[in-house]
Amino acid sequence: MTTIQQILPIDLSAIRSEHLAQALTGYSVVFLSLFLLALLFSVIPKVLSWNVRRRFDDEGDAAKKALAGNMIPGEVSAAIGVAISLYLNELHDQDTAILTIKKVGKSYTPWNSKIYNVINFKGFQR
Amino acid sequence: MDRLIQFIGYSGFANITPGHLLMILVGMVFIYLAIRYEYQPTLLIPIGFGILIGNTPFIEHGGMALGIYEDGSVMNYLYQGVLKGIFPPLIFLGIGAMTDFSPLISNPKLILLGAAAQLGIFMTYIGAISLGFTNSESASIGIIGGADGPTAIFLSSRLAPHLVASIAIAAYTYMALVPLIQPPIMRLLTTKNERRIKMKPPRSVTKLEKVMFPVFALLLTGFIAPGSLPLLGMLFLGNLLKESMVTKRLAETAKNTLIDIVTIILGVTIGASTQATTFLTQSSALIFILGATAFMFSTAGGVLFAKFMNLFLKEGNKINPLIGAAGVAAVPESARVAQVEGLKADPTNHLIMHAMAPNVAGVIGSAVAAGIMMSLLL
Repeated sequence: MTTIQQILPIDLSAIRSEHLAQALTGYSVVFLSLFLLALLFSVIPKVLSWNVRRRFDDEGDAAKKALAGNMIPGEVSAAIGVAISLYLNELHDQDTAILTIKKVGKSYTPWNSKIYNVINFKGFQR
Repeated sequence: MDRLIQFIGYSGFANITPGHLLMILVGMVFIYLAIRYEYQPTLLIPIGFGILIGNTPFIEHGGMALGIYEDGSVMNYLYQGVLKGIFPPLIFLGIGAMTDFSPLISNPKLILLGAAAQLGIFMTYIGAISLGFTNSESASIGIIGGADGPTAIFLSSRLAPHLVASIAIAAYTYMALVPLIQPPIMRLLTTKNERRIKMKPPRSVTKLEKVMFPVFALLLTGFIAPGSLPLLGMLFLGNLLKESMVTKRLAETAKNTLIDIVTIILGVTIGASTQATTFLTQSSALIFILGATAFMFSTAGGVLFAKFMNLFLKEGNKINPLIGAAGVAAVPESARVAQVEGLKADPTNHLIMHAMAPNVAGVIGSAVAAGIMMSLLL
C-alpha cells in the first residue's frame, strides 16, 4: 500500500540554515530592489515639477505652486483625450462645399400623371 | 517481407507505450482548454501540439534523428533556443514593447505588491529542498511561483537543464489555470468590505516619466541583481522602443512578429520535450505539486501584503487587497482575475488599471528573483 510519505517524501531535516538564509536573502533583495524603484519613481515627479514650482514661487502665486506638484488626474486626462478624439474624428480631409443632393424638378411622365392616377379609376370611386 | 516487418517495427503502433498514450491525452486536453475555454491559447495550442509531436512513438536513436533529445534532429536544433536560454530574453523584448508601465509609475507604492507576491518562489524553494531536490533544482522549481514562463525557462536552463520541460509545462499550465487557482485564495484572505475598497483613479503620466522608467529601472535592478540582466535588459529595451515613439517600426516588430515567432517555436519545443520516456518520472509529478503550492503562496503573499500596507495608509488611499494577487507575473490574467473578483463584490468597482501595476511589477520582481538565485547558486 502506498503511503503519503512515499508520494511526498518530505524530509524537514534536509532544510539547513543556509537554505533558509538564501531564501530570506533572496526575498529581501527582491523587496529592496523594488522598494528602491518605488522610491525613485515617487521622487521623480516631484523633481520634474520642481522647476515649475520654483517659477510660480518667484511669481508669488501660491495657489498655482500648490497645484504644480499634482499631475493631471487620470479622469481629466481621459476626458481631454475623448474630447480631442471626437474633435479630430469630426474633421474632414477636404471639404468641397458642393452639395451632392440636388432637388430635381419633376418632369411629366405618365407614371406621375394625375390623369392616370389610380384614384381616378371608376372602380375605386363610390 | 523483411522490409515490411522493418517498416512496421519503425511505426508508431509498434513502439507505443501507456506513457505515450497518457501524454497524447494531456496534449489533447491542452488543446481543448485553449480552444474551448480560451485559457492562454497562444501558449497552450503550440505546447499541446508539441506534446502530440513529442509523444508520437518512434524508435529512439534508430538513426533517423527524430526525437527532440537526439543530436542532429530538427527539433533538437530548435530546442537549443530553450536549453541555451535564447528564447526567454527575446520574449521579454516583445513583452516590454507591449507593456504600459504607466499604472505602476502613477502609483509607485503598488510596486511593492509585485515584490510581496514572489513569496511563493522562496517558500517553494524550501519545500523542494525538503523533498530531496538539490539546491539548484529547488531554485528552478521555486521560480514557477513567479508565474512567468520565460523566467522559469531561463533560470531552469541555467541551473537545472534536465528539469526544463517539467518546470516549463508546470509554469504554463498553472498560468493558464490562474482564473481557477487564485479566486478561492483571494476570497479566503479578504473580507467583503475589503474587496469593496475603491481606489483613487491613477494620475496621468508624462512621456518623460515613461521614457525615464526603463532606463532607470534597468540600471537599478541590473546593479542589484546582474543575473537578471538578460531578461530585464530586453524587457526594458522593448519598453524604451515603445515609449520613445521614434522607433515605432522596431517596437511593432518586437511586439508582433518577433514574439509570435519565438512563442510558436518555444511552445512547440517545450511541448515536444515532454517525451513520455523522459518526462514521466516521479520528479515531474513532484514539480507539478510544488508548482501549484508556489502559485498559492505567491497569491497569498500579494494579498496579505496589501492588507499589511493598508494598516499604514489613510482612508481614501487604501489599497483593495484583491490587486495584491495580481503581483504574480501572469500578465494580464491575474489582473483580470482581480478585476472579476472586484466586480463580484461591487459591480461598480473596476480594479483592472490598479491591478496592472503589481502585475507588471511582478514581471520585474520574478526576473530579479531569478537573477538573485543565479548569483547565489552558480
